Amino acid sequence: MNFNNKFDKKIISFPQMGNLYIPVCALLKAMGADNVLLPANNKQTLTLGTRHSIETMCLPYKMNLGNYIQALEMGVNTLIMFQAPGTCRLGNYAKLAEAKLRELGYDFEMIVFDLYGGKFKEVINKFSLATGNKSMISALKGIRAGLAKFNALDKIERELLYLRPREIKPGKAEKIYKQGVAMIHKSESPRQIKEVVDEIMSRYSKVNIDKSKEILKIFLTGEFFVLLDPFTNMNIEKELGLLGVEVHRQIMLADWIGQSLIPKIIRKIETHKERAIRTAQPYLKRIVGGECIESVGDAVYAAEQEVDGVVHIGPFNCIPEILSQCILPHISRKENIPVISLLMDEHTGKAGFMTRLEAFVDLMKRNKKVMQIA
Amino acid sequence: MKIGIPRGMNYYNFYPFWHGFFTFLGIEPVLSSKTTKKTVLQGSQLVVPETCLPVKIYMGHVLDLIDNKKVDVIFVPSHQSIAPKIYNCSKIRGLPDLVRNVVKRNFLLIEPTLDKSEKKQGLYEYLYESVAPLGITDKKLIKKASKAGWEYQNRFNAMMRSGMKLDEALDCVVKGKFVEHKEDDTGKYQINVAVLSHAYNLYDEKVSMKIFKKLEDLGIRSYIAENLSMDEMKKGFMVLNTHLYWANEYEVTGAAGHYLVDKKIDGVITLTSFGCGPDSIMVERITRYAKRLSKPLLNLTVDEHTGEAGFITRLEAFTDMLLRRKRESVIKSLSKQFGERKEEKLVQNRT
Repeated sequence: MNFNNKFDKKIISFPQMGNLYIPVCALLKAMGADNVLLPANNKQTLTLGTRHSIETMCLPYKMNLGNYIQALEMGVNTLIMFQAPGTCRLGNYAKLAEAKLRELGYDFEMIVFDLYGGKFKEVINKFSLATGNKSMISALKGIRAGLAKFNALDKIERELLYLRPREIKPGKAEKIYKQGVAMIHKSESPRQIKEVVDEIMSRYSKVNIDKSKEILKIFLTGEFFVLLDPFTNMNIEKELGLLGVEVHRQIMLADWIGQSLIPKIIRKIETHKERAIRTAQPYLKRIVGGECIESVGDAVYAAEQEVDGVVHIGPFNCIPEILSQCILPHISRKENIPVISLLMDEHTGKAGFMTRLEAFVDLMKRNKKVMQIA
Repeated sequence: MKIGIPRGMNYYNFYPFWHGFFTFLGIEPVLSSKTTKKTVLQGSQLVVPETCLPVKIYMGHVLDLIDNKKVDVIFVPSHQSIAPKIYNCSKIRGLPDLVRNVVKRNFLLIEPTLDKSEKKQGLYEYLYESVAPLGITDKKLIKKASKAGWEYQNRFNAMMRSGMKLDEALDCVVKGKFVEHKEDDTGKYQINVAVLSHAYNLYDEKVSMKIFKKLEDLGIRSYIAENLSMDEMKKGFMVLNTHLYWANEYEVTGAAGHYLVDKKIDGVITLTSFGCGPDSIMVERITRYAKRLSKPLLNLTVDEHTGEAGFITRLEAFTDMLLRRKRESVIKSLSKQFGERKEEKLVQNRT
């Protein structure tokens, strides 16, 4: 079937996931697509998604479906779905969502990005299909701007994660970060983006921090979507930061993009996944799909790096994360590192979630004191 | 030499092969006892509550082998993929890793990997990994043993296709017999129902709560995926307008596709364990198509807390519904025939 002529004018939308919208918007804009930006994931998205999906489905699917319904209500007729490498239920989602939306009576077309094996060409082809753009030059321009935005976002986010627990007056760094995100979203050329990053960095340097404060360092690892979407993970980074914990999130957007798109031969450094496969060896010998091996590998790596603890998050009923959840307590005992697993679903309450985090932070603090005495 | 094989997960599909293979090499396979309440309890203490019931039971069986059967070599295979990019569920793929991490006992874990997506992880490598830790490294001998294994497996498959019960078929296979099932039951049962699930759910009496016996008591003849040939199941995928995604999807989606359009079948029952990821998607698809093809469908979900009474009630209600439906269709066709005859008479009278 030829999809190209189904709609005269394509109005595109894509699911929200944390800051992913900024680079994607840049790319779509460069290719001249008519793009509708959805509001960031919120309660309504979750309600819509939950209402129309099976109960045992995982949170990322529910969010995506909610996004699609919101988009179609806003007059969008072309939906984009991302399918990153990894073999959990994700491979079924595009089809499942499409069937459900057709059942609900919407008329649209769906373009699926299949990133199995990291095919750079496939992405460009699909983007051309989505935007109707045949010019390679503008596509490359868009990709360059997108990649620059990925790197810029990572840079200001890393700084925020460093500053947040050390701030004397909490909230200032967060404010600057939010300004930075908005500015990066608005800027167009790589040069402009660089200026924005410099500006934000100089603003960061004016934030008063307590350098002598004793800071706990943790690794935040787990399932990809939950890790990167602040609404879904209940802003865990911020909450931990306010409790005086420096968070090292193990998956950053730019790293991930680099690893899934750039071919193996060009790449020089060890990717996150390769590192995880190496460190997870005594506990998990095979890749079992999803981010299971990353979660397990990160926990072992954290112990090697003498980090104070590991926070593992994932959606409820995620198949690979259940496996890593079973393995993590064993690692915790053997490698002597505190690990907490938090699985979220639509019923997770913030209060209970916070109590568990606070208890975990207390435990790490006590642990550290005992270690110092001994 | 003894090797312990837990009675769970892939046991129900591949045990005949393993039996033939290991006995040929002079290794005695030892099975754990059948699933009991204790197996479930012990197993579920080892893993997180979200894990699905069959995996919990599997852990229970591993413990049973070590504690009660006193075997210290346990065979836990990892079936990664059966064809390029056709993967199994994560829990099946990582089964040996799970056992290694949660079972705190002293034993030798034999963990061969079958991964057809990789170049050098096919059947012979898998079999080599299965016996190399036991000191058998002669590749020619392993090849011969594999042939012996296939002999057993093929015999078993043929017996299952002819409609034999799993217990009987396994019994015959282990004894080296081949018996064709020749029971003529036309007209014996009023209703035919297809029961679809993975073998480890269906044939574990603790999980499926003896569903076959319950159905038979209600006067229902049950059909299963093992009665179908591979071609029939492949056609089933076309009926449901999908393609193979999971390695163990044939027995659910494929069979469902076949039975949903089979006129002989009055209704379809699916049995899934709570929290099963692949099944949740398969069942969603089956439900959608059952509605379109107007075939009655009953989705049963089980976990370790499922009560038998509620299970029976649902089966009875479904049976009642099927009976009423059948009666209605019979009456309809009768009245149609009757009506036609009446008209014929009228026509005759006029002439």
